[in-house]
Amino acid sequence: MKRIFAVALGILTAIGGFVDIGDLVANALVGSRYGLSLAWATIGGIVGICLFAEMSGRVAAVTSRGTFDLVRERLGPRVGLANLVASFLVTMLTFTAEIGGIALSIELVTSVNYLLWVPLVALAVWLIIWRVKFSLLENVFGMLGLSLVVFAVALWKLNPDWSTLLHQIAVPDKPGKEGLLPYFYYAIALFGAAMTPYEVFFFSSGGVEERWTEKDIRTSRVNVFVGFPLGGLLSLSIAAVAGLTLLPRGIQVDTLSGVGLPVAVAVGKIGLAVAILGFVAATFGAALETGLSCGYAVSQYFGWQWGKYVKPRDAARFHVVVLLSLIAAVGIVLTTVNPITVTEYSIVFSAVALPLTYFPILVISNDPDYMGEKVNGRVSNTLGTLFLIVILIAAIAAIPLMLLTKAGQ
Amino acid sequence: MTGRRIAAALAGTLLACAACVGPATTTSVYRGKAGHTAEDALSQLETARLAVETDRRGNLLHASLEVMLTEAEDGFSSIQATFDSIQPPDSTEADQLRDKLDKILAAGSDGLAQLRIAARRGDSAVLYSTSAELGAVSEQLQAFSDNPHA
Repeated sequence: MKRIFAVALGILTAIGGFVDIGDLVANALVGSRYGLSLAWATIGGIVGICLFAEMSGRVAAVTSRGTFDLVRERLGPRVGLANLVASFLVTMLTFTAEIGGIALSIELVTSVNYLLWVPLVALAVWLIIWRVKFSLLENVFGMLGLSLVVFAVALWKLNPDWSTLLHQIAVPDKPGKEGLLPYFYYAIALFGAAMTPYEVFFFSSGGVEERWTEKDIRTSRVNVFVGFPLGGLLSLSIAAVAGLTLLPRGIQVDTLSGVGLPVAVAVGKIGLAVAILGFVAATFGAALETGLSCGYAVSQYFGWQWGKYVKPRDAARFHVVVLLSLIAAVGIVLTTVNPITVTEYSIVFSAVALPLTYFPILVISNDPDYMGEKVNGRVSNTLGTLFLIVILIAAIAAIPLMLLTKAGQ
Repeated sequence: MTGRRIAAALAGTLLACAACVGPATTTSVYRGKAGHTAEDALSQLETARLAVETDRRGNLLHASLEVMLTEAEDGFSSIQATFDSIQPPDSTEADQLRDKLDKILAAGSDGLAQLRIAARRGDSAVLYSTSAELGAVSEQLQAFSDNPHA
């Protein structure tokens, strides 16, 4: 019974924790411009994140070591450093976007300017990282993140023509007036949002924090292969409701309030309140994850003691990195740069950094010296290699497409 | 090392360029930019109107309505300022396009300010009537976006 509860909790937190500010903004923005005709990119990203999260979870369970530690040892300090720098910068950018996202969410129910909330939000994030147990913070925010199911409820309440929606998913096409380049730019953005590197680092580092062993591999797989796709359905719901309510009126989402507007249209005040709770939970949970991931990345690479499973005084440098990252993120948000713009750039740069993140995971999960009998099977390797090719193409195309389309304009 | 510095400088310049407003060298380019401006402005205006309609049905939190209207107004102003900063080419058609769109944008900007003021005062009557009046501005923006010549 205890095991079943643990699996169920893991699945629910995986669903609730799947969506972050990048998924919220990217799916609503793309949904409002393209309906569900770019759902293939989201679905591709979900398959990819499942594949590589399973690998990294298995690596963590077998080796009980962090990703960056293993990458440096297996591929050498130079490759490890490239992986560290790229991943850290993208995670920092995402951390900044999440901090801004929390403040924007609170603004939606208080109408007090989000910049005034940023210092309080930062203090809350730091206190929780410092004081609250890892399992508690993961489970609480994951469960609260389930509030975003209200987007699926909104979709049902809008009573759409389901066959049209399924047709949009099954037969990808772009609306007539949209150009091909922005279409592929947003495909990469959705792909980057679904496969954000920190999700994999956090998942595997969390496995080490929770002292996974080989016995936990099965639970980890269930969480990934059930929880992540169901979380992905929330992403598709966000895109679908935006497509149904905003696209016909020529509205393009460029604010967090715009992400929630379709829920208010379909479900009303209570629905919007639940959606905002989901925004706070999703962005707060992701802020904790990205903040911790900044500390994990640097500490694992340099071989410092890390994690919340030891007392802060025993992992002082890890906590210093987290704190400095938080201060930097707050500093960036307080420059008044638009958090949604930061989010949009963070998901595109995520796509650029993907090969540096996922290639080492594929290498290590194939190495019998580390994995013993738990190396990748044929299916994992074939799919992993195919995805790596797709990731590489997306990474190469991301910046040129961003320039050519003026960031999707 | 020099190569890396050049690459870094190039990357920085390209990124900066991605966010720049370029000059309109020909009337055709200017027409395209004007069309995109109308499309973006329409998006902000319709966001505000949808928020007001949702509020009218009792489906929106008042704080959220205020935020949505303020953001729509800010977004609209930014779009208007960006358009005004574009140097039009030396042609009669470009000047006509600019005058025409400027008038529509000014009407939209005034309307959005009225919506924000009415929402903060809790003046529902003005809020709903202004939103209805802005429907005409939306139609003009839509028509301009579809065909800037007309």
